[in-house]
Amino acid sequence: MPKNSHKVKLALKYCGSCNPHVDLTRIARHLTKVAEARGDFQLVPLPEDGIDVVVILCGCPRACGNKAEVRARAGQSLLTAGESVNGRHVPEAHLPSTVEQELIKILDS
Amino acid sequence: MSMMTGNEYRESLRRLKPEIYYLGEKIESVADHPAFIPHVNAAALTYEMALAPEFEELLSTTSHLTGERINRYTHIHHSHDDLVKKVKMLRALGQQTGSCFQRCVGHDGLNSVYSVTYEIDQKMGTDYHKRLVNLLKEVQSKDLMISGAMTDVKGDRRLSPSQQKDPDLYVHVVEKKKDGIVVSGAKAHITGAVNSHGHLVMPTAAMKAEDADYAVCFYVPVDAPGVIHIFGRQTNDARKCNCFLDQGNVDYGIVGGEALIVFDKAFVPWEHVFMCGEYEFAYELVERFATAHRQNYGGCKVGLADTLIGASYALAQVQGTDRSSHIRDKLVEMVHLTETLYCCSIACSCQGYALPAGSYMADPLLANVTKLNVTRHIYEIARIAQDIAGGILATAPSEMDWKNPKVGKYVDKYMKGVADIPTETRMRLIRLLEAMTCGTALVESMHGAGSPQAQRIMIERRANLERKKRLAEKLAKIGEQPLFVC
Repeated sequence: MPKNSHKVKLALKYCGSCNPHVDLTRIARHLTKVAEARGDFQLVPLPEDGIDVVVILCGCPRACGNKAEVRARAGQSLLTAGESVNGRHVPEAHLPSTVEQELIKILDS
Repeated sequence: MSMMTGNEYRESLRRLKPEIYYLGEKIESVADHPAFIPHVNAAALTYEMALAPEFEELLSTTSHLTGERINRYTHIHHSHDDLVKKVKMLRALGQQTGSCFQRCVGHDGLNSVYSVTYEIDQKMGTDYHKRLVNLLKEVQSKDLMISGAMTDVKGDRRLSPSQQKDPDLYVHVVEKKKDGIVVSGAKAHITGAVNSHGHLVMPTAAMKAEDADYAVCFYVPVDAPGVIHIFGRQTNDARKCNCFLDQGNVDYGIVGGEALIVFDKAFVPWEHVFMCGEYEFAYELVERFATAHRQNYGGCKVGLADTLIGASYALAQVQGTDRSSHIRDKLVEMVHLTETLYCCSIACSCQGYALPAGSYMADPLLANVTKLNVTRHIYEIARIAQDIAGGILATAPSEMDWKNPKVGKYVDKYMKGVADIPTETRMRLIRLLEAMTCGTALVESMHGAGSPQAQRIMIERRANLERKKRLAEKLAKIGEQPLFVC
């Protein structure tokens, strides 16, 4: 996507972080850096209108943030739940890069 | 109609011809032998209560495969509500039987194998999940009772399966044929084995490449050739044959009825094989089964504890101690311990989650905490029950002496408590408490679903001690001090 065209709006939704098995903020920080580097998407607050992608960040497999009303905020969603991305097991160290890869698939689609 | 009545279940057992030995003799019919009738009765209640309006909400549900109404014991959990209802079902059954009703082991096995076969197929390109689904349809449509057979006899515990001097100390594949596999070995402590329709056999531990022949999961009918059952002794089991009142829990016995299942070159057709050499999935299967089974214990044992509390309270009334403050305090303590266990099982169910196959499992850490608490709290509850009951629990005369024409009048006179309550009431309560707290029944709370150390190992694996350390370091102002530790 050209940098001067409409930027994809990406929002993050945390589960609430009661007792996370993994460090979710590492994923968030990584996505912030990727957004700056790529320039084709921007992080916006979840209540904003016109969100294209929502990344749901859950600290454990219980996935409390994975609610229909959250997914309905955007056309597409990505789910991390403990050591998993979209239901596939991913070691904690690889979570940020895996979320990035999954996000790029969405952006390029 | 896919759900059986209790009597239809008994009739279905009579049609089978399993090879069963008990006290040195071959048993012809478990449904009709006094040593087995209490266990059959307890399992039969899982059928009866599913059809009873009072309990159908817990004990029956809708099949995700066929849309038919089925017994929950043949169901694959697909929601948190399913997980919670399993616990509530177990408590309700425990209250009605005061014993183990056996059917949960196979239920947990089906759920575990359902999810793991899906994941094996995803990675290995096998078709185990389809085979399991076909078996599940049969189990649901015929309302079969399946035992879950996981624990191998293990021999020298220092050695892995393939390192044992005798290769049969863990169940393993001895031959692969065009139409199936041949297996040998034995599974120990298998609850409800003799009065099940078949066995779901699973590996017992994590496996390495050299143990691949031991990474085997399959189903066999209870009366398949080469499958032999040796039924275990229980405390006071002779009373089943020559006593009534002295049994304590006449209808349902004191435990589930466990057997050693021997596989002597038993043949298993491929359609009933769900893992054969995929050793890297053995641990996952063990953990999922252990989680599902440990989730149960704050349900079933809580139901038993409810009856134990009731028996203690009733006996205190019979003995005239029920208004003493220390007795009431002890009863409160029993309730507190009981409901603590229930909290654990409900919590691990509510914190459960979906698996790639779409089925749900309980939270493993909390499920292991549940079971580890059971290994302590049920013993403490039993200790308090014995405290309230008094030494008579161990010294009461037998029902034969109570019925004896010469000394029966003395037993009746001197075993009496409060004047207007019959001696027989006291004797019945004493025997019920004896059955539930003295002997085999308690060991089930210790080692059923795995020994305490097995729970501790799984708790440590999931403890996330490093994060807890970071939380403490932040407060103690050691190293980095972020606003939040995530």
